[in-house]
Amino acid sequence: MSQLSTADAGRLPRQARRHGGPPGLPGRRQVRLLRLARWLFLLPAVGFVVFAFVVPVVYNVVLSFERTSPATVAHLAAPFAGLSNYWVTLRDPVADSAIVRTFSFTVLSLLFQFVIGFGLALLFCVRFPLRVLARSLVLVPWLLPLLVTGVIFRFLFQLQAGAVNQVLLGLHLVHRPVGFEVDPGWAYLTVLVTNIWIGVPFFTVLLYSALQDVPAELLEAARIDGAGPWQRLVRVRLPLIRPVAEVVLVLGFVFTVKVFDVVIGLTGGGPANSTQLIATWAYNLSFQEFDYGAGAALNTVLLLIALAAAPLYIWLNRASLRGDTR
Amino acid sequence: MSAVSAAARRRLGAALAGVGALAAVAVLLFPLYAVVVASFETNSELFGASRYSFFPARFTLSNYRVVLSQQGSHVVSSLIIAAGTAALTLAIAVPAAHALARYRFAVTGLLTGSLLAAQILPSIVIANSLFLVYHRLHLLNSYPGLVIADASYAVPFAILVLRAFMLALPRDVIAAARVDGATEWQAFTRLVLPMSRPAIITIALFAFLNGWGDFIFALTMLNGNTFEPVTLSIYTYIGEFSQNWGQAMALAVFAVLPAAMLLIAAQRYIAAGLTAGSVKG
Repeated sequence: MSQLSTADAGRLPRQARRHGGPPGLPGRRQVRLLRLARWLFLLPAVGFVVFAFVVPVVYNVVLSFERTSPATVAHLAAPFAGLSNYWVTLRDPVADSAIVRTFSFTVLSLLFQFVIGFGLALLFCVRFPLRVLARSLVLVPWLLPLLVTGVIFRFLFQLQAGAVNQVLLGLHLVHRPVGFEVDPGWAYLTVLVTNIWIGVPFFTVLLYSALQDVPAELLEAARIDGAGPWQRLVRVRLPLIRPVAEVVLVLGFVFTVKVFDVVIGLTGGGPANSTQLIATWAYNLSFQEFDYGAGAALNTVLLLIALAAAPLYIWLNRASLRGDTR
Repeated sequence: MSAVSAAARRRLGAALAGVGALAAVAVLLFPLYAVVVASFETNSELFGASRYSFFPARFTLSNYRVVLSQQGSHVVSSLIIAAGTAALTLAIAVPAAHALARYRFAVTGLLTGSLLAAQILPSIVIANSLFLVYHRLHLLNSYPGLVIADASYAVPFAILVLRAFMLALPRDVIAAARVDGATEWQAFTRLVLPMSRPAIITIALFAFLNGWGDFIFALTMLNGNTFEPVTLSIYTYIGEFSQNWGQAMALAVFAVLPAAMLLIAAQRYIAAGLTAGSVKG
């Protein structure tokens, strides 16, 4: 206390002054500086979260209630439009079918990604030559730029010189080339197949690492007790990897509801809007028809669907909210 | 006798699993094979023929010659964007992860919760709003604007993964250094940073790939008159010259190259990031 000059005492936090402050602490100011420094470490992240996430979400909701036009782009505000963006957008059959399609697309993608990924993960649990190489090569599809993947599959699914048609003809599965690009049903299937291709590596790698964590003694004990391969799979392995499987499926859901690049690269949403998903149609409304309010209204719908998974996702990640690791 | 047959059965099982897995990998990788092959073919081979040929007869470098002369600047743009995204992500995430791992804030739960929610946000929502905000701020058609938008892919993941890694670092080492007179800043730069190197490399790689692979922000925020990344130019390519698959595929090879190279050079960091991002439950 004696070391503190009156000027320093004047700058003490109110609480310290009231209680006289702990004796012999030269670092009162230092403590405050340190606390400030801690916040400086955090400040860029807080600023970024506000600018790149909070502002866009809030502004998106505001936009969805405004009557926008190319002329209003110059200002950040436009006349209030009530719910008209929602009425107009959601009564449009293209938007309706995009919403329904996004759901079916997500469910089918996750189903096949899980089944194929889990099957591959099981295969990788068996020792065979080139296993390590094969396991790392599986990752490749997941790392490519999504738009490029879309374009590559557009190339493979062509009518005349497409590899897929060539294989189907060679196997006598079809008699004439399939019009993947012109038939709405087939076009939807191409987007689905492509998206499954992208997601399989992710499921394989994560389910494989979960399977590796299943204790070998447990499987051995089950075998000795007379459990066959199927029973060991269903009764031992599946229950033990369930926590990981849940996380993977929730993450897969989050990835899939916002699919955009793949559709644009592969079909552009066509033919006749038959492969539009919520994200691509919202893009279309905002950036092709310059109706940002309508696009924002559809974006809000997408936001609600995606954020429906948020409580589950945060609950599964609850460890990271606490101070400790796991 | 039965032991022998069990061993034989096991070996047969392993052989079958191996064949199955390798066949699956071959199917998974076929599209890439097709891209590389097509990039060496002339358009007449790709289109004049009425059928797809799995093993083309002639190879040409003309696609690469055209792409290199016309698209070189786009590859450079992609590199600038990717490196910028990685740099910005590190600048934001490394200090934040350290602070969140070492100090207790009133907002810790709120911030990590919003980072988890941010990972869920669809990019088209961000793009729609940021386009209009950028229009006012004159950030459209600029590298800084695009890099900030691209960092939205990487920052939440980076902070969460790095913080989890830093929480697992031995606390007593840092405490001992502080007792020995090291300042907080020295503890951070001399101990925490070097010990966190693997996780920092992982998040930098992912941020780089995010910036390299971005399409949605480039599509919405660039008008094509200033600069454009490879993803955007592939998209314009198939729009404008939809018949010129040879060149489009040569360009696709360039677009795929960083991912392939990083997978070879830094596979363990990639695999670490893949698991760290999701198995924290």
